[in-house]
Amino acid sequence: MRFTGTAREYFGIWIVNLLLSIATLGIYSAWAKVRNKRYFLGNTTVDGRPFDYHARGAQILIGRAIVVAMFVIYSVASTLSPIASLALLLGFAAIVPWLINRGLRFNAAMTSWSNLRFRFDGSYWPAFLVFLLYPFLAVFSLYLAFPLVSRAARRYTIGRHRLGEHRFAFDSGIGPFYAAFFITFVWAIFGFMLFVALVAASGMAERFAAAAQTGGEIDGATVLILVVVAAVWFVAIFPLGTIYAACVRNAIYAGTALEGGHRFESTISPPRLVWIAISNGIAIVVSVGMLLPWARIRVARYLCAHTFLRPAGSLDDFVGEAARRQSAFGDAFLDIEGIDVGAAV
Amino acid sequence: MSARLSETGAPAPTGEAYAAGSSRRIAARLRAASDGGAVELVDRDDGAVLARAPPETIRRERRLGGLPSIVLFPGGWRFLSHDHDAVDALLGTEGSDRLHRWEAWRPQLVLVVALAFVAAFAVWRWGLGALVAVAVAFTPDALTRAIDEGHLAFADRTLADPSGLGEDERDRVRRVFGRLDAVAPAARSGAYRIVFRAMPKVGPNAFALPGGTIVVTDELVRAFPEPDVIAGVLGHEIAHVAEAHGLRQVYRSLGTYLLVTLIVGDVGPVLDDLLLEGGLLLSLSYSREHELEADRIGVSLAARAGYDPAALARFFERMSAGDKGGGSSWLSTHPPTGERVREIRRLAEEIGRSGG
Repeated sequence: MRFTGTAREYFGIWIVNLLLSIATLGIYSAWAKVRNKRYFLGNTTVDGRPFDYHARGAQILIGRAIVVAMFVIYSVASTLSPIASLALLLGFAAIVPWLINRGLRFNAAMTSWSNLRFRFDGSYWPAFLVFLLYPFLAVFSLYLAFPLVSRAARRYTIGRHRLGEHRFAFDSGIGPFYAAFFITFVWAIFGFMLFVALVAASGMAERFAAAAQTGGEIDGATVLILVVVAAVWFVAIFPLGTIYAACVRNAIYAGTALEGGHRFESTISPPRLVWIAISNGIAIVVSVGMLLPWARIRVARYLCAHTFLRPAGSLDDFVGEAARRQSAFGDAFLDIEGIDVGAAV
Repeated sequence: MSARLSETGAPAPTGEAYAAGSSRRIAARLRAASDGGAVELVDRDDGAVLARAPPETIRRERRLGGLPSIVLFPGGWRFLSHDHDAVDALLGTEGSDRLHRWEAWRPQLVLVVALAFVAAFAVWRWGLGALVAVAVAFTPDALTRAIDEGHLAFADRTLADPSGLGEDERDRVRRVFGRLDAVAPAARSGAYRIVFRAMPKVGPNAFALPGGTIVVTDELVRAFPEPDVIAGVLGHEIAHVAEAHGLRQVYRSLGTYLLVTLIVGDVGPVLDDLLLEGGLLLSLSYSREHELEADRIGVSLAARAGYDPAALARFFERMSAGDKGGGSSWLSTHPPTGERVREIRRLAEEIGRSGG
């Protein structure tokens, strides 16, 4: 795969998107999303043939409006009566598999490579199992079964995708998933212990108690300690998802096949990807967001440079159908609530 | 999306073409047909005409960054070319290229950056507040009353027991409440009302619900027999209702969450959380501002109803004497007690002097 986008070019697209989104109190963000996705997909090529994204801003806006309305209803209901909000939450959970399927289907149908649309054929109960029931049951195994759940989710999302008429398939041994889980777990434990040790060593609690006693201000040293401890917390806990995803990425691509004998390969280095994610976060904060475009391009470039398609023959012979128009409902849900099912296509 | 055919003999843009539903890449060229009425997509290798259509039926995707111009034929053929000027000459420029010009890496982009900062500041400083004020104004009274009922019912199931106060004790509080009510600004949903509950886990305190219901704990009435203190506390709670502090906080945190997710979009796994937590910290600062405002208004209400305006300070002092420690000034929903007591004393003195 090749990525041809540049930070300089993307900065302009991003800042104009941002300005228009702010000026319209978020309404333009639907169109901004389309331009964003078109830029990244259009600059990604496999064997010289680019991807593209075909959703219209209005479609995404309607989907988002529905999601925002649901969110507001839920918030109002939860201020009204905790019982009602619980009932709503359960009803909500019941439609989550359907929403995820809709989101995946919309995204697939709106994405193309060369002149072929992707497809996703979901169904309710398998989605219910991999996105609700299995994760719920994994809690009772003290998350030890989490790698199995994660593999089942990949098998479902990848296996239900098609490029035109050609099916994707995914299968993998469980070893890499447990290895990733173990590394993430060790990082979390280590980070948490470091955090606790720092809090205890710095005598932070006493300093705060003293400040509260005198009713006065907190001195500079306390603020500095607080910043250091918070930084350790962010580095230790927030990238856990990224670490796991980085560790399993190579295995996921190695286990993915496209009908016709085409295979995929990912050769990323997990420590390098985690470093990119963390240093990106720091760069964005330090630059008040102005380096965000650079950070996104950096990730896309690294991922594309280390992702390969191993074709079993000519790439000229894929065929498929034109996409149908669909509502954007499920897609917006994936967007706003941040449910990332991480389809690795 | 119509396109207009320019003069024949225009340069022929070269690029690549894909048939509908096919991945086969074909080196191709676009040209005006010799009869002048149509545009043709021609295979560059063998000269075969792949597609032919009148220019007004041909669509173009909007230009974006350094991506090729994309030309869509009605039959589904897709043509990509970097010869942008030649495509423009053949099909005419689309009016929608203005965005693409603004996005270009040119000095005027500095203006866009500056405008984005100004707009972000304006939304944060005034826009959100204006949205919250509109939402508060449009909240129906029936809703705020229902919120009161819901919360009271929930409290009764969890923290609160029926009040064990005698009628004489209740009347004492009701008399204070009546005098405050007479000088208080009108409640949102008709009237303020007072209810009594035993809340041993909460201790001496009072709560305001957005519909005008004020919950007084038995512990408060028993711990503070003096009407001046009760007046200070009730005045503070009435002020919360009158200024719709509860509703404002709900709407503000809702609005912040929505704006952050919509405008900033996906900034990465670490920063997403950071931004939303930042929003939470900001909403805490509003909560503290609201407490100070309620102190201010409550003190003046108590004074106008004929009570000692400084009595609320005694309440805070007695309460904080019982609990050591506490939070810092920016991680807390309530401001530090010392600060509040000083401020209340200062206000009381001011009222004393002016009312003299």
